[in-house]
Amino acid sequence: MINWGQVLFNSAVTGSLYFIATVGLTSTYGLSRFPNVAHAEFVTLGAFLGYLVTQQLGWGYPFGILVALLGSGIVGVLSYRGIFEPLAKRGATMIHLAIASIGLGLMLRHIMGQIWGWAPLSYRVTWASFDIGPVRVTGLWLWIILAALVLAGVMHFMLTQTKLGKAIRATSFNPDLALASGINISRVTLTTWFMGAALAGVAGLFKGAMAKIDPLLGWEILLPAFAVTILGGVGSFYGAIAAAYIIGFAENIGVVFLANLGISTEYRMAIAFVILILTLIFRPRGLARSFGGT
Amino acid sequence: MDLLMYFFDVIIFVGIFGILALSLNLEFGFTGLVNFGKVAFFLVGAYAFAVMARFGIPLVFCFLGGALLAAALGLAVSLPALRLRLDYLAIATLALGEILRIVVKAERWIAGGVWGTPVPAAVSWAGASNRALALGDAALVYFCLLLSFVFLQYLTNSPYGRVIRAIREDEMAAEALGKDRLKYKAQVFMLGSALAGLAGGLYAQHLRFISPDMFMPMVTFWAWTMIILGGPANTRGALLGALVVEVFIRGTRIAKDFVHLPVDPYNLQYILLGLAVILVLMYRPQGLLKESEVKTKAKEIALARAKSSGSS
Repeated sequence: MINWGQVLFNSAVTGSLYFIATVGLTSTYGLSRFPNVAHAEFVTLGAFLGYLVTQQLGWGYPFGILVALLGSGIVGVLSYRGIFEPLAKRGATMIHLAIASIGLGLMLRHIMGQIWGWAPLSYRVTWASFDIGPVRVTGLWLWIILAALVLAGVMHFMLTQTKLGKAIRATSFNPDLALASGINISRVTLTTWFMGAALAGVAGLFKGAMAKIDPLLGWEILLPAFAVTILGGVGSFYGAIAAAYIIGFAENIGVVFLANLGISTEYRMAIAFVILILTLIFRPRGLARSFGGT
Repeated sequence: MDLLMYFFDVIIFVGIFGILALSLNLEFGFTGLVNFGKVAFFLVGAYAFAVMARFGIPLVFCFLGGALLAAALGLAVSLPALRLRLDYLAIATLALGEILRIVVKAERWIAGGVWGTPVPAAVSWAGASNRALALGDAALVYFCLLLSFVFLQYLTNSPYGRVIRAIREDEMAAEALGKDRLKYKAQVFMLGSALAGLAGGLYAQHLRFISPDMFMPMVTFWAWTMIILGGPANTRGALLGALVVEVFIRGTRIAKDFVHLPVDPYNLQYILLGLAVILVLMYRPQGLLKESEVKTKAKEIALARAKSSGSS
């Protein structure tokens, strides 16, 4: 018998984590027009900073989130300003930028490996779990879902009601027209890169709290994040929300089926990858078209 | 450890990754295809070799089998994937690499799953010393490398080479001139995959052991680093890149035994490599060796004729 309540709850957790991790990736991909492979390292950095603040310094989670957010966000902006913007100005193609992001990711990963070492770290505290009916729940999981909801709400408000939000939408839709309308593209771009990396950092903090932390943590989430990006439509915020939860659900229900069929649950990660490939082949634009391209 | 064995180890890795770099160079440098899943074909070649060797199949066929299986995978992938925009192709191939790695990790019956499987060396005979075996190993690898290099030089310095460069520069124009771009792209992709499969087989028999975590995406990115540094679209550049990167990585690891540094050299080398890639893309995107001209026989004759009559 399938515990649907548990499956749905787990899907919500996985989907929430994927959503927070992917918003940045899809935004910068859509805006700067290249897949940033170093996004994985923005996630990892958040995990390590979160660990540093909450476990090594013992300052508490709000500080941890703040530091992870700021740290990753700043690294994101520096990466854009220091590497991607100059390269783009020199006429680098999308692929050159992607390769540069691979180089950047390599550097960041090994800098973190140098600082924190390659042995996996884990949080000392274990979250208490309690049962709501047939569903097993932990406090951390509830926080993740809450964070995603808050994020979705805040971003929706920002994108539709604020000047900056509308500028972001305009720029990702048509940069030349946006520039002609007097929008400060530079500011929009920097904000997007900061926000994207900052949110990646927060996702990293959550993932680190859930499992072990090592310099490869971000990579574990990168391909699912690409799956969410592609399925939702590159650059589409609302598409990312839908795609994150769809993939979260697919993974969790898939795991149940795999276990029932006696197939190794190693294949859990492959579920997102297969969705990614199928989307690329059959509907490369993703779901975004249904959302009017935003 | 024996310095000579270190030396053999380094040059063998240069050889194996040289072949891998050549294969990527053919796909990206000459034809403009972005394959971020090179490791998938490397893996297929390695695992095919291991499985076939376990059944006692003669080793030449193990190599061929690995290359053919990798080429078959390349064909299967190229059918849906080569129509994709370049970045989508990159992401799709990246995902493919990971899917294959998960498959061999999960399915223990293929080759030991997570625990991996031992692989016999291709060149060995009873009573051979370690040095002799290493020499035989290196000879085999360099034989394959030489074949690949000569073949690719021939291929790229021919009308075929011109077509694939044309496809790289402007697909639509090439198609308008009657060149079936999907056919050429698929051929190149299959060829590149076959070479990667061959390299995989050589890798497996050199290390005498394979396991899934030897085939992480990092392997693909090593190959990319090599061709970016050495220069895409230049066969010698690909080899130069392989030489530089492998010597740097392995050389510094060996030096670690003799010199003590405050920073773990393992981390430092990758930080420097990442930085090198960024710097090359920023300041010398054509790499160390610039794109080679297409030297077809026709061009040779034309140049000779021009020279003999052109002094007037």
